[in-house]
Amino acid sequence: MRNSKLLISQALKTISGNLERTGDPLGLRSPYWTRWTRRIDLPRHGSPLLFTARMYQMLPFVVQATEMAEKAAPLVPALSVKTIAKVVEIAGAAAAEPILRLRARRARDLRNRAETALAGIVAALAAAGILPGYLYEKEPYSGVLLYDLGMEAAAASAARGVHQTLKEAGVDTVITVDPHTTFMLRQVYPRYIPGFRLPVRHYLEVLAGVGAMPKPLRRTGLPVRIVMHDSCVMTRDLGVVAPARTVLSRLGIEVVEPENTKTDTACCGGPVEYAFADLSRSISCIRAAELAGACRNVLVACPICLINLMKHEKDLGIRVWDMGELLFHAFASRLREAAPQRPSEEPDGKGAAGVRAARI
Amino acid sequence: MNRDEAERKRLLAEFAKCRSCRFCVDVCPTYQASCGVESFSGYGRMQIIKYLLTGLLEFDDALTYCLYSCLQCRRCEVVCKSKGQNLDICDLIQRGRRLLSGRLARGGRHAKL
Repeated sequence: MRNSKLLISQALKTISGNLERTGDPLGLRSPYWTRWTRRIDLPRHGSPLLFTARMYQMLPFVVQATEMAEKAAPLVPALSVKTIAKVVEIAGAAAAEPILRLRARRARDLRNRAETALAGIVAALAAAGILPGYLYEKEPYSGVLLYDLGMEAAAASAARGVHQTLKEAGVDTVITVDPHTTFMLRQVYPRYIPGFRLPVRHYLEVLAGVGAMPKPLRRTGLPVRIVMHDSCVMTRDLGVVAPARTVLSRLGIEVVEPENTKTDTACCGGPVEYAFADLSRSISCIRAAELAGACRNVLVACPICLINLMKHEKDLGIRVWDMGELLFHAFASRLREAAPQRPSEEPDGKGAAGVRAARI
Repeated sequence: MNRDEAERKRLLAEFAKCRSCRFCVDVCPTYQASCGVESFSGYGRMQIIKYLLTGLLEFDDALTYCLYSCLQCRRCEVVCKSKGQNLDICDLIQRGRRLLSGRLARGGRHAKL
């Protein structure tokens, strides 16, 4: 609690400064968010567009940044917070990127899981006859953290930037992969941008809405029963509850409901991790224990929930799955089927994939 | 009347609708994790913003921690709606933060509401 005022002040400055300087909340310049596409080749243009907003890709960096902040905490009584904050601010622009990159390499397991989740989402969409476009290095960040922190002017500026990018790419439908970005695009952007009416659909809504989603190609490794952790944003902000359950039933997985579920779900503690790691851990511990009491396999469909609940995997003997990981197990071979027809070789992006992209 | 002043009045009018039933307190994950400190709940945070806006409280580290530790998970709103009051608690807290964040980013330790 001590120095919270300065801590929040510094967090606000750092995040908005990073975004202003590099367009990335972590202040990283090289496009770490495209690494997952090594597994699959998506068209660079066309609609629908897959918009990840870098959320899954930044997980290893977020974990490392939080750990570094936690380790620096004992130094606070010795040096003043202001001194530390100033050093971080000055060094941040030059030194943060290589340090974060180096440390994030150690979080290889998390990076693999995040990349697998994204590949799984694309594989399932491909199985449903939808091959979305992807902006690769041009993909912007949604500005959701700025909005959550109350930095409205900066969030509005980020929203306008995203809108411009999507407009230039000729996108008429967006498929999102996480609840936070979906919330921003669907409910916040229209407040900032008059006339913003882009159809925005979460991938689970798309998959649940497809009449004939094929059965899983491979069942090996898929759990038989799983307890569902609903995301607060997904259920209470967006009112999306049924699609995840529809997709699970199509995968042949039995859903176990915990005590607090659907619109009465309990938070994973993720939203305050950027500044109050102890509090965040206490909240996630309470939720993880509740879920572990229902089933050892826990399902999330949000990158923030994933990193917060997976901290307790060893302690509680649970396995936290992201929905994308399940989809990867079920439909991974679809990626190989989609790969040979490379639409990126066609500059106008209206190649095979553009034609094959089903209407959603 | 500038924009902040108008927002201050609107927020106070909203807070006046709260009937202090405190049903939103128990369900807050931060309240549960902090072993029952009411300041870490929807009701507690609304009270903090109200008294900051009326000048009865001064903005300090403890209050910053309380306000910025809100998860914005809206669990409090589910209870508030089910009890017939229908306050958008998280939205009100978020609006309070908006008034603060610009000043915090500029003023750091010396920021005031």
